[in-house]
Amino acid sequence: MSRTLVAATRRVLGSRRRGDRAAASPPAGAGDAALVADLVEAIGSDRVRADTASRYLASRDASIYREGNAGPVCYPGSTSDVVACVQVAARHGRAVSPRGAGTGLAGGAAPLGQPVVLAMTRMDKLLGVDLDNGVAWVQPGMVNLDLSRALAPHGVHYAPDPSSQAACTIGGNVANNSGGPHCLAYGVTSAHVVAVEVVLSDGSVVTLGDLTAEPAGYDLRGAFVGSEGMCGIATAVAVRLTRNPPAVRTMLLCFDDVSDAAATVSAIIAAGIVPAAIEMMDQRCVTAVEDFAQAGYPKDAAAVLLVEVDGPAGGVAIASEKVAGIARRNQAISVRTAADEDERARLWKGRKSAFGAVANVMPDYYLHDTVVPRTRLVEVLERIYEIVDRYDLIVLNVFHAGDGNLHPILAYDSRVPGTDERVHAAGREIIEMSLDMGGALTGEHGIGVEKREHMNRMFSAVDLDQQSRLRASFDPHCRMNPGKVLPSAHSCSDIGALRAADAAGVWG
Amino acid sequence: MTDFDEALTVFAAEVGPDGPVCVRGGGTRWSLGGEAAPDTREVRAPAGIVAFEPAEMTVRVRAGTPVVALHEELAAAGQRTALPERAGGTVGGALMAGESSIARLGRGPVRDALLQARYVCADGRIASAGAGTVKNVSGFDLCRLLVGSLGTLGLVGEVLVRTFPVGKSERWVRLAGTDPGAVRSCHTAASVLWDGTDVWTLLSGYEVDVDEDLGRLGACEEVDGPPELPLHRWTCTPAEATAFDVRNGTAGRFVAEIGVGVVHASEPQPSRPVEPGVAELNRRFKERFDPTGRLNPGRDPLRRP
Amino acid sequence: MHLGLDDDELVACVSCGLCLPHCPTFVITGSDTESPRGRIALMRAVQNEGAPVTEDLIRSMETCVQCRGCETACPSAVPFGHLMEGTRAALADAGRITPRWQRLALRMLRHRRLLLAGSTLLALAIRLRLVPTKRLGLPARMPLRRPRLRTSGDDVWLFTGCVMDAWQRDVHLAVQRVLEAAGAGVEPTGGVAPCCGALHIHAGLESETKAMARQVMAGLSGDDRPILVDAAGCGASLKDYGHLLGTDEARAFSDRVYDVHEWLAERLDELQSRRPVAPLKLTVAVQDPCHLRHVQRAHHAVPAVLLPFVAEVVALDDDGLCCGAGGAYSVMEPELSRAIRERKTAAVVRSGASVVASANPGCSLHLAAAGLEVRHPLELVDQALSASRS
Ligand SMILES: Cc1cc2nc3c(=O)[nH]c(=O)nc-3n(C[C@H](O)[C@H](O)[C@H](O)COP(=O)(O)OP(=O)(O)OC[C@H]3O[C@@H](n4cnc5c(N)ncnc54)[C@H](O)[C@@H]3O)c2cc1C
Ligand code: SF4
Ligand code: SF4
Repeated sequence: MSRTLVAATRRVLGSRRRGDRAAASPPAGAGDAALVADLVEAIGSDRVRADTASRYLASRDASIYREGNAGPVCYPGSTSDVVACVQVAARHGRAVSPRGAGTGLAGGAAPLGQPVVLAMTRMDKLLGVDLDNGVAWVQPGMVNLDLSRALAPHGVHYAPDPSSQAACTIGGNVANNSGGPHCLAYGVTSAHVVAVEVVLSDGSVVTLGDLTAEPAGYDLRGAFVGSEGMCGIATAVAVRLTRNPPAVRTMLLCFDDVSDAAATVSAIIAAGIVPAAIEMMDQRCVTAVEDFAQAGYPKDAAAVLLVEVDGPAGGVAIASEKVAGIARRNQAISVRTAADEDERARLWKGRKSAFGAVANVMPDYYLHDTVVPRTRLVEVLERIYEIVDRYDLIVLNVFHAGDGNLHPILAYDSRVPGTDERVHAAGREIIEMSLDMGGALTGEHGIGVEKREHMNRMFSAVDLDQQSRLRASFDPHCRMNPGKVLPSAHSCSDIGALRAADAAGVWG
Repeated sequence: MTDFDEALTVFAAEVGPDGPVCVRGGGTRWSLGGEAAPDTREVRAPAGIVAFEPAEMTVRVRAGTPVVALHEELAAAGQRTALPERAGGTVGGALMAGESSIARLGRGPVRDALLQARYVCADGRIASAGAGTVKNVSGFDLCRLLVGSLGTLGLVGEVLVRTFPVGKSERWVRLAGTDPGAVRSCHTAASVLWDGTDVWTLLSGYEVDVDEDLGRLGACEEVDGPPELPLHRWTCTPAEATAFDVRNGTAGRFVAEIGVGVVHASEPQPSRPVEPGVAELNRRFKERFDPTGRLNPGRDPLRRP
Repeated sequence: MHLGLDDDELVACVSCGLCLPHCPTFVITGSDTESPRGRIALMRAVQNEGAPVTEDLIRSMETCVQCRGCETACPSAVPFGHLMEGTRAALADAGRITPRWQRLALRMLRHRRLLLAGSTLLALAIRLRLVPTKRLGLPARMPLRRPRLRTSGDDVWLFTGCVMDAWQRDVHLAVQRVLEAAGAGVEPTGGVAPCCGALHIHAGLESETKAMARQVMAGLSGDDRPILVDAAGCGASLKDYGHLLGTDEARAFSDRVYDVHEWLAERLDELQSRRPVAPLKLTVAVQDPCHLRHVQRAHHAVPAVLLPFVAEVVALDDDGLCCGAGGAYSVMEPELSRAIRERKTAAVVRSGASVVASANPGCSLHLAAAGLEVRHPLELVDQALSASRS
């Protein structure tokens, strides 16, 4: 190793602490010196960080999971950088965990066992727009909203719009098969990913899917989407472009009673109308959001529905009339249509800042995103309020009502002793109730680490065995983002690749 | 986790734990991906609709049910699925073939239609993939993997499929002597077909919108349905389909699905090159899911045109 | 180490990440260590979990431009500015940031005569090409003589500040003419209120800032005239005295402070009524200084005031992302600062404008150093007014 490389490595390891503690403990990550040196040699010192602050922050995402423990953090700039990192990690017997913007809500990006973390944020370019084939090629670190903005001049957009779209990355969306309000009519991420370039755990690069109508072989693209970083690293994504609808109408329906709102949702679907989006918020949530977004939501309504209808103008007019009629028959106290683009944007901004705004109520939140049959929403919401009351907690409901995808947000203050336990117990009951209603564990946030142990409640051993075969076909040695999704009994046999987690975390 | 439908357990017993086996559906796409190896035992998947929930927009149906029969049932509630209707073709067959209907533009591809699958694995046990809801990301997406797998990874017995409302007005029209660009401005176009000379399009939606699109198209002739499709199905990119006549020397007569990339031609498609990495992954999948190679031997989705 | 941060403010962050795209440093490095969420998590680790204050943790704090773009983006209303000021104060007190030379330099800003003399020397040195202006981010040309500021009445104060008064007095004069055209008698504050202390609080010198705040307040007490500020950074600082000192008097003082555009936007009729004005034939891009947009939240006033006086006003498409100037930031973190600026210049180029209007002297200097044509919005207004006057 050249001397400059040694110096660069030292710089990357960082963390020579000044002051009293300096002598007491070695620089963090010192055990990784050889690994870090190889990474630096492979992709350059400005793309590798192994200091404690970087590792500490790369150990967490937007979930409440805090046991993650990152090894060196790399910021690849190209597919070949990713290949190089994966190869170096393999040589050192270390796992690799990809990371987008870290807005995941299930701990998917929380690395376990000090893997090499690949932060994809610097691969954020739009590679090309191919209007003839109706696709755009993008790098995985591109932010979802930036993509739609870049596409705007072409009169097209990228349809999946998670509420976190201002921050989350396309790579994260692909890995989590993310949804969003408009996925009700347009479908979730998987329906919008045409092909993915992937770096596999052995460092090979393959393109899954292609631009043809029906690629030959198994639908590996489909199998990869939603694999939460466990099947490989996405390094380029061909996304489908959706034509902007000629007409859009956004309505705010307000109700005195949560059940009336829920009944309206079921009735809309039952009437054979598929709006672009049906979102619901209860009073607590509206109050929390309104102060930030000034969207004009009435704070005195027990629940509001945000319904958007789009398509050719004639149908939009008919469908929105029908929706308004259904709402009135279900005792809506007001039906308001956004007058212009400004008002529409404000209404959506309110909806999309809902999770963040929870902090105006309590400093912490924990949420599940189970899905229930949309015909049973009334019943399910009543049960949720009942469970939460029983545990003496506060819940805010804001969710993709149209497809039955709940997001009950339990707001709490973890500084109050005993609260964490109550929150988890209530969360578990909500999950079990949802599954008993014929529901699913997660509709869009993924399993990550947080819901791993609930998988047994939804799937049999045979089912899980089949899922682990899918994973192992991509990554036979379980080197990609290990420890996620599958409950421990079904995780990789050589989970030994996970280094014994350092109890003291990265500061240790 | 649920107790399985009895028909499913019977089906699993029939498949059994060993010996080469495949499911015969309607036999409409029987030769896709190759011919069945000799000595392969043929079984039939159970048939019948288990539960149709119009307000949920889903239907639970046994794989052996003919698609046409299913759609007749759904039509009562003004709904249908994205599966293609072929005379005698079954739900399971349509899913395993993975070929979309000619109205994919409006109704979506088959691969987005499957919400839950109950299937018999290579070892004879029943597995369940996906969930009973319209949205789900719990674990890896086995449903997508199964669609188009030609029954080489598991034999499907029962599925939950997404349904959607049929357009209030559905009309096929033919535009003589034009190119597909003529239909571009029509937002209700659920299918655009082109044979190099004429364009057929299915307009589907609210009556006002369909009428408006008809007005936009100007001179066109209302027809009963799509033109007769040549025998062979090619798959290419949407751009290639639009420019098809330019290079159709070997294809013979053709009808291209514009905006999709499927072309129906009188000659078969020459085999497409497969990236070695993709071929290797396909092999690994087959090996992991069916270590002894007993499921539908002889068929290989890579060999599908 | 206890950073002395308010625990409720500190735990208000729910780690949602919605602030990330609004943080200029995260946008450049893509690393959580250079993000608001990351910085808050590190503050928490130090204050609540006893994590050691490592070099890299300090770097994370030092690289923050303190633009507060994260604050307006945050749905949880996390008061990031306070948290960062508090953290820097604790680190400066412990001698971990803000080295001696920087403290000395900042101290000079309070001494007006010294500053003016020093600036003249600097201007001379620049003329003689003794100073590498480009590398230091200094203007290519500075005034050797400064025109005198005079009092024209007692309707409003015009806060003149420190560096700006020394380097860009022309702007003050233009602003004053515009105010007079709107019918206001103006008294420049000059030596009465020498420096607002914005740079000091950013550097973590809290007690010094407080002393300066008291000095400014004392100089401008005795009446309740509005105090108009034509530098967004100073305006933000003066408006924050209420919070900084926590006294009723300081709060009352802060209530008297207006960004000059904010004040003029209410008086556009007066400004236009005197005589018809021909708009300048210019397409102007408005750069929103962070301290106007994210801190004072008064940025809408600038295009409103400009609109009648130029051919076209265009907004930049970068969501008001910081330009990287950040007071002393461009000097302390030249590399990041320049990288951030590149994004801004790209946005300006995309906008197709020929002139950039910036309501903050720090931003103008920084952007001008990149070769952009930058003017104070009211300089343009003044130009239009005087063209129609002659
Ligand atoms: C306020 C808020 C609102 C949200 N709203 C929604 C919503 O409406 N709908 C929804 O579905 N989700 C929502 N989410 C969850 C989250 O934003 C999404 O899951 C998002 O897709 C995560 O993207 P990310 O870039 O932050 O990924 P990260 O959180 O960084 O990572 C997520 C997963 O992706 C993997 N990954 C990242 N990049 C790659 C890559 N290049 N290759 C392979 N694997 C990779 C990671 O390993 C991890 O498993 C919300 C979150 C927040 C905080
Ligand atoms: S500062 Fe605000 S926006 Fe940023 S992560 Fe924290 S809560 Fe979210
Ligand atoms: S103040 Fe500006 S630079 Fe600092 S964290 Fe917030 S957005 Fe980033």
